[in-house]
Amino acid sequence: MDPLFLAYSYFRRRKYEQCVELCSQLLDKNPYDQAAWSLKTRALTEQVYIDEVDVDEEGIAELIMDDNSIAQVARPGTSLKVPGTGQGAPSQGVRPMSQSGRPLTGFVRPGTQSTRPGTMEQAIRTPRTAHTARPVTSASGRYVRLGTASMLSSPDGPFINLARLNMPKYSARPNLAKSLFEYIFHHENDVRNALDLASGATEACQFQDWWWKVQLGKCYYRLGMYRDAEKQFKSALKQQDMVDTYLYLCKVYVRLDQPLTAVEVYKQGLQRFIGEASLLTGIARVYEGMNDMSNTVQFYKDVLHQDNMSIEAIACIGTHYFYTDQPEIALKFYRRLLQMGVYNTELFNNLGLCCFYAQQYDMTLTCFERALSLASDDNMSDVWYNIGHVALGIGDLTLAYQSFRLALASNNDHAEAYNNLGVLEMKKGRLEMSRAFFQAAFNLAPHMYEPHYNFASMSDKVGDLQSSFNAARRASDAFSDHMDSKQLLSSLRKHFAML
Amino acid sequence: SETGLQFHEVLPRNGQVYQEDLPTTVLCKPKLMPLKSVTLERLEKMQRDAQETVKEQE
Repeated sequence: MDPLFLAYSYFRRRKYEQCVELCSQLLDKNPYDQAAWSLKTRALTEQVYIDEVDVDEEGIAELIMDDNSIAQVARPGTSLKVPGTGQGAPSQGVRPMSQSGRPLTGFVRPGTQSTRPGTMEQAIRTPRTAHTARPVTSASGRYVRLGTASMLSSPDGPFINLARLNMPKYSARPNLAKSLFEYIFHHENDVRNALDLASGATEACQFQDWWWKVQLGKCYYRLGMYRDAEKQFKSALKQQDMVDTYLYLCKVYVRLDQPLTAVEVYKQGLQRFIGEASLLTGIARVYEGMNDMSNTVQFYKDVLHQDNMSIEAIACIGTHYFYTDQPEIALKFYRRLLQMGVYNTELFNNLGLCCFYAQQYDMTLTCFERALSLASDDNMSDVWYNIGHVALGIGDLTLAYQSFRLALASNNDHAEAYNNLGVLEMKKGRLEMSRAFFQAAFNLAPHMYEPHYNFASMSDKVGDLQSSFNAARRASDAFSDHMDSKQLLSSLRKHFAML
Repeated sequence: SETGLQFHEVLPRNGQVYQEDLPTTVLCKPKLMPLKSVTLERLEKMQRDAQETVKEQE
C-alpha cells in the first residue's frame, strides 16, 4: 500500500502515533515531501488538541493587575467579579459556596476551576497539595507545561525548529500555512510565532480570509490583548458568520468583565444560528457566573430542548434541583446521565446523595460503594465526606466520625470535613478538640460561614467573648443574611456596651 | 356553621407549649460533586501522561 495513503488512513482513524511514525519515515526518505510534512503537523496537533473555546486559565498576574475592566467597583449585576444578587438561588445556608462567593456549580470546565478571588491574599493562597495551584501568569500555565512535556518525549528534538522557520515563505502558501499555524499554536504553544505567521498570512490573502482573522484573535487573546482580539473577531464576523467566532468574541467580553455585552453578543449569534446549543450554553454560563440562578436554569433548559444529551445542562439543572429541596427531581436528571453512559465517581456520589435525600434508602449505599470503587485520590475525600452526611442522617455518629476522618485522610485540606468533625466533637463535649477543628476549617476556607459561626458560638459559651465577637463578624461577612450570627453579634454588642 | 362541624380549642393545662430557639452548631452541607467537562478530563489526562513521560526520562 502507498505509505502516504496508509498514513492518511491512520489519521482518519485517529491513530495519530502510527500516522506520525509513518510520516517521519516518509520524511526521512524525502525531506521535501510537503504532503507528509503537513500531515505530520496535523497529526501532532490532533494529539494535544484542546477546543480553544474551552481553554481558559487566569494567572495571578492577570487577576490582580487587571487593567482591562472598566470599573473597579462595578454595579451589582454587571460584573463577574462580585457575585451577583443571587436571584433565584438558594441561600448560602443550603447550597455550599465556592471560594469566589458563588454557589457550587454542577459542572466544571477549565475556566470554572479558577474562579476569581477577591484579594491578592486569596489569589496566592495555594493549598499544600499542588493540584489546584494557580500559575503566576497564564503565559506560564498548563498549556505551556504540556508543550514542554511533549518536546521532552521526542528524543531528537522538536519536529519543526520554529526559530529557523522562514515565516514569510510559509505564510504565502495557504495549503501549508493553516496546518502549520495550528501546529505552532496548539502543539508548541508558541503564541508569538503563531501570531507572526497569522499576520503574514492574513496580509498575503489581502485580509479576505476570515479564518486567519479568527486565528489572529485567538493569538491576541492568549497574549492578553483583548481589545485587539475583539477587533479581529468582529472583522471576521463581518465576512462570515460562524458559531465559533461568536463564542470566541464572547470569551473576550467575559475576560473583559462585561457579562451583559457577552450575553448580548450570544443573542445576536442566536439570531443567525437559531437554537444553537453552544451559544445557549454560553449564556447560561455567564448567568451562572453572575449568580443569577433563575436565568441560568432557564437557559440550560433551552439547551436541553435543542440538545437533550448535553451533560453540562443536565448536571447543572440537577444540582439546582437538589439544592432547592427537590432531590427526587435531581435524581431523575442524574439517572438520565447514567443512562447516557456517564460512569464515574462524581455521578455515583451525586446519585447516592439524591437517593438518600429522596428517601430511596435501598440504593444509597450501593451508589456510594460504586463511587468509592471508582474514586481516585483527588475525589475520594468528597465521597467520604458525603457518606459522613448519610451517616449523620441515620444517626450513626461513629460512622459519621470515621467517614469525616477518612475524608481528611485522603485530602488533608478538606475544610468542610474539619468543620463537621468539630461539630461532632462538640457534641461529645470535647471543646478543645472541636476548637482546633473549627480553626483548621476557617483557616483553610475563610469563605465558609459555618466554621466562623461555630467557633463564635463555642467561644461565647466558654466566655471568650472577644474571639466570639471577631468570629461572628467574620461569619456575617461571609454570609450576611445568617440570622444566628447576627443575633450573636447584637447580643455581644449589648454586652460590651454595658461594660 | 355551614358544615356543621364544631371545632373546640385545645389548651394545655400546665402552661403554654412553646419552643425556645436555641442556637446550635451548623454542619457544612452535603456536597454534590460537579461533573467534569470533556476538555477538562482530556487536559488532566494529557497532564498525567506528560508527567509520566518526564518521570520515565529522568
